[in-house]
Amino acid sequence: MVNDEVVVIKSPHQNSRNPPQKSKGVAQNGGDGKETLFSPRFRSVAAMAGWDEEALMMASIVVEDTPDRHFKQKKRPTLQSLKTPPTNSRRKRRGQRRSPSSLPVVALDLEDDETPTESETKKEMTESTTVRDKENKRSGSQSDAQSSIISPSSSAIPCIDRLREELSCAVCLEVCFEPSTTPCGHSFCKKCLRSAADKCGKKCPKCRQLISNGRSCTVNTVLWNTIQMLFPQEVEARKAAGALNSRQAQRQSPTRPNHTNARNRAVQALSSPESGNRSPSSRRGYQITRRQSVQPSRLSRRRNELPSQDQDAALALRLQREEFMGAFRGPDDEYRNSFAIARANLRAMASRAIRARGFFNHAEKKKWFQVLPLPYYSHKVAKEP
Amino acid sequence: MNTSGSAAGMATSSSGGIRIGGGGIVAGGGSSDGGGGRRSWPSTTSVSASGKRIQREMAELNMDPPPDCSAGPKGDNLYHWVATLIGPSGTPYHGGIFFLDITFPSDYPFKPPKVVSKTRIYHCNIDSSGNVSLDILKDNWSPALTISKVLCALISIFTNPDTYKPLVPGIAHLYLTDKSKHDELAAEWTMRFAR
Repeated sequence: MVNDEVVVIKSPHQNSRNPPQKSKGVAQNGGDGKETLFSPRFRSVAAMAGWDEEALMMASIVVEDTPDRHFKQKKRPTLQSLKTPPTNSRRKRRGQRRSPSSLPVVALDLEDDETPTESETKKEMTESTTVRDKENKRSGSQSDAQSSIISPSSSAIPCIDRLREELSCAVCLEVCFEPSTTPCGHSFCKKCLRSAADKCGKKCPKCRQLISNGRSCTVNTVLWNTIQMLFPQEVEARKAAGALNSRQAQRQSPTRPNHTNARNRAVQALSSPESGNRSPSSRRGYQITRRQSVQPSRLSRRRNELPSQDQDAALALRLQREEFMGAFRGPDDEYRNSFAIARANLRAMASRAIRARGFFNHAEKKKWFQVLPLPYYSHKVAKEP
Repeated sequence: MNTSGSAAGMATSSSGGIRIGGGGIVAGGGSSDGGGGRRSWPSTTSVSASGKRIQREMAELNMDPPPDCSAGPKGDNLYHWVATLIGPSGTPYHGGIFFLDITFPSDYPFKPPKVVSKTRIYHCNIDSSGNVSLDILKDNWSPALTISKVLCALISIFTNPDTYKPLVPGIAHLYLTDKSKHDELAAEWTMRFAR
């Protein structure tokens, strides 16, 4: 549950950081439903109604509980298919620092981060060409023939093959993708160098000198930018291929993210200082994740294919089921109690919001229907004018 | 000997090279495969990477073959190649054409290819069943090595046999003690088996 809260706190933050994505018309999937829940307007309504942050959190815990796990992974491909706007460097670094254990996510992350640098370098390239064009025009008055030789298009061609040879990775024989330079001065694709270190020992593939630590290979940014400038098509093609591969890998092993997430959650729940006072909810969250990981293939496959509706339906079903089980277990379960209280809060909040009208458009109302299990609504909807 | 062989392998051969008859095999094999090789191999994640690399090597070999050798896929399997070497002049193997079978592992650039000589040859590093003892094909393999470099290294052991780690100690001994006799025998074998 601690994890859930973190995500909830983050989501409006993310919104403010890159609003263009939304305006470009990202497909409104299940993940976005949550953001509409916590739109600033809704927050202000909640504030007017006297709901403080914590109450909102509690409510969100009930509604949001599991889909968050898939939220990140689901959203990323859509981000990636669009050209993401340049993000700040902090996010980039965070992306690079991600643990290498979850491979598909890392690959996607890299894609995500490269696009801004790509666009930057492209910008640089166009700038440089314009500068050169200006120079050419200046010199063009002196001699036309000379200027045609210097012009960027023709000057790039004669040595491009040699450059390609020079900038290609000796392992995959293609132009280096995210080149990483060894202490001995040889550059390879980061991935190639890493797998070479894993499979053939920690030696430089070119000169067999020892590489101190294969894990700490970083991208040689100057070289990488140069390569992106010189061979934009190749880089694009490899990016596309990498994205395809990682997507396939994700499809092939849908269980992995679930497991890691469940483990993370368990660890967080144990280690976080808040776990003391929030233990009931966190325990419940872990139970849910465990239950899900028992039958992960079915659920996650469905999620990958069908976006929002199915998710919401599944969530509603789970809530109903939980209530059912709670009824069997009896009211002495303390965490059931807290759960019931949170849900009551949410219900009250929803009804207030609906009463407030104006603030909710039709689509959002619809979402509320999907989020809450039907029995809770039917009477409320009937009452509503 | 050892070091010289691997050094020759490491050096990029940028010379124009002589196109030889074996090129026909290369061209024929190159046009028809690609998909076939990938399909016939059991599926792992690294297959596409190795396949890509092998295709790249094939293209490079076609563009700029190293002197006195050629290589290309046997049929439509990208992972199974045939290579030919021409005995370099100044050696007893001069004038012979030696055929090699090359098999690529599925995690190819990270594991060495297997090279087997199909032509009998009197050489202390190649035994009667065609096994080749070459350090870069075993412990000293590096993913930066390519087939063209391997072929260059093979040519270099034709001129300088590695007598310190021989596969056939008798031939190595004869080479060290009586080189003229060794050369005579090798030339005879070349005449008999490699023409």
